[in-house]
Amino acid sequence: MSEKQIDILLDSILPLLKAGVAFTIPLTIVSFVLGMIVAVLTALARLSSLWPLRAVAGFYVWIIRCTPLLVQLFIIFYGLPYIGIVLSSFTAATIGFTLSVGAYGSEIVRASIQSIPKGQWEAASSLGMTRVQTLRRIVFPQAARISLPPLGNSFISLLKDTSLAGSIMYLELFRVSQEIVARTYEPLLIYCAAAVVYLLFCSVLTWLQSTMEKRLARYSAS
Amino acid sequence: MRGEAMIEIKDVHKSFGTLEVLKGINLSLEKGKALAIIGPSGSGKTTLLRCFNLLEQPDRGQMTIGGTTLHFQPGSSIRQADTLALRKRTGMVFQSFHLFPHMTAVQNVMEAQVTVQGKSKAAARERAEALLAKVGLADKADSYSHQLSGGQQQRVAIARAMAVDPDVMLFDEPTSALDPELVGDVLKVIRQLAAEGMTMIIVTHEMRFAEQVADYVVLMDDGIIVEEGPPQQVIGNPQSQRAIQFLNRVTNYDVT
Repeated sequence: MSEKQIDILLDSILPLLKAGVAFTIPLTIVSFVLGMIVAVLTALARLSSLWPLRAVAGFYVWIIRCTPLLVQLFIIFYGLPYIGIVLSSFTAATIGFTLSVGAYGSEIVRASIQSIPKGQWEAASSLGMTRVQTLRRIVFPQAARISLPPLGNSFISLLKDTSLAGSIMYLELFRVSQEIVARTYEPLLIYCAAAVVYLLFCSVLTWLQSTMEKRLARYSAS
Repeated sequence: MRGEAMIEIKDVHKSFGTLEVLKGINLSLEKGKALAIIGPSGSGKTTLLRCFNLLEQPDRGQMTIGGTTLHFQPGSSIRQADTLALRKRTGMVFQSFHLFPHMTAVQNVMEAQVTVQGKSKAAARERAEALLAKVGLADKADSYSHQLSGGQQQRVAIARAMAVDPDVMLFDEPTSALDPELVGDVLKVIRQLAAEGMTMIIVTHEMRFAEQVADYVVLMDDGIIVEEGPPQQVIGNPQSQRAIQFLNRVTNYDVT
C-alpha cells in the first residue's frame, strides 16, 4: 500500500463510520421496530377467523415478497411525487424497509405462534383466560423465544439492505463510500473499508442476538 | 343421599364431522361427590369431559354447572361471557399436564389468579405457595416444568387448576402419561381432594382407583352410557354385555 493510499484510507474511515452511525444504524433500528409492529399485526390478521383480515394481510405479504425491494423504494421515492406525495429520502426508505420487515417478519411470527402447542391454549382457556390474555401471557412469550433466531437474521439482513437506500439519495454508509471512490479513484480500498464497517456493525448485532437468546433460553431444557 | 346437583347435563350430543361421538348423554352429580368415567378408548369419555368446560361445544342438549345453565342448539354458539363464566367454575387437569413452560411452578399457579381473578401478585403468590405445599411441592415453587418429573408436573397442574377456586375439578386421564412409579403421588393428591369434598369428574383407566375414590361410576361405550351406579355395582358386578367385556379386558391386563 502506498503512502498516498494510507492517507486516503485514514481520511475515509471517519466519514464512513459517521455515515454508519448517523444514517445506516438509525434507519435500521427505526425500520426494524416499526416493521416488527407491522409483522405482529399482520401475523394476527393472517391467523384471524375473519376472512377480510386474512385476505388483506395475505395480499400485502404477497406484494412485498414478490417484488424487488429496490423497485419498491424507487416507486415510493421517485414514483409517488407524480401523485403529489413527496417524501424525504429517510421517510421513503423507512416506509420501504418497514413494509419489507413487516411482510417477511409476519411469516416468522405467524409460524412461531402456530408452533405453540394447542395444549397451551387449552390450558389457558380452561383457567378462564380470554384469547387476548392467552396471547399476551402464554403464547407471545413462548413464540418470542422461538422467533428470536430467525428475526435476528432479518435484523442483520436489514442492516446490509439499507445500502439500497443510497440509490434514493439517502447518505448512508455505502453511498458515502461511493462518493469517496468517485473522488479518490480507489474502489478496492474504499469498498473494502466500507465492508469492514458493515462487518463491525453486524458482529455487534450477532453478539447481541446470542446474548438475548441465552437469556431467553433459561426455561428450555435442551 | 340426595344433595344439591352441582352438575346436570341432559341429552348432550356432539359430532366431529359425520362421526357422532356423544349420542345423548344424561348425567347428574351432587356437590362434593366424585364421578369416574370409564370405558374403552374412542367411547367418547374424554369428549364428554371436555364438554363440561366447553373445550368442546356440544351440538345439542343442556348443561347446568353450579347454577349456570347453557342450552346448545346446532348453528348457535355460546356467548364468550357465558363460556368464560363456566370455565371459571371448572378446573381442568390434562393428560399431558400442559404447564406453561416459560413460568416457574409458582408462577403457573399464580397466573390465572392474577389475570382472571384480578388478585394482587402478593395474594396470588401466598395462595399458590399454600397449594403447592398441599400437593407436596413446596420446595419446587421456583422450578421450571422441565426441571420437574411428570408426576411433579401433574401435581403443579392440579394446584394451578385449584387456584381459581373451581366448583368442579375435571381430570382427563391424569395418570396415563406418567411412569408407573409416579402414578401413586398424583392419585394420592386426587384422593385427598375427594376426601375434602371437592366435586370432581375423573376420566380414568385406573379401575382400582376409580373403585376407591369415586362415589359414582359411569361406563361409556360408543357414545352412550352403558352402565352407571356405585363402583361396587358397575365395576364389581356389571350387568350389560359390553360392560363385562370391557372390564374383563382391563382387569386381566392390570392384574398386579
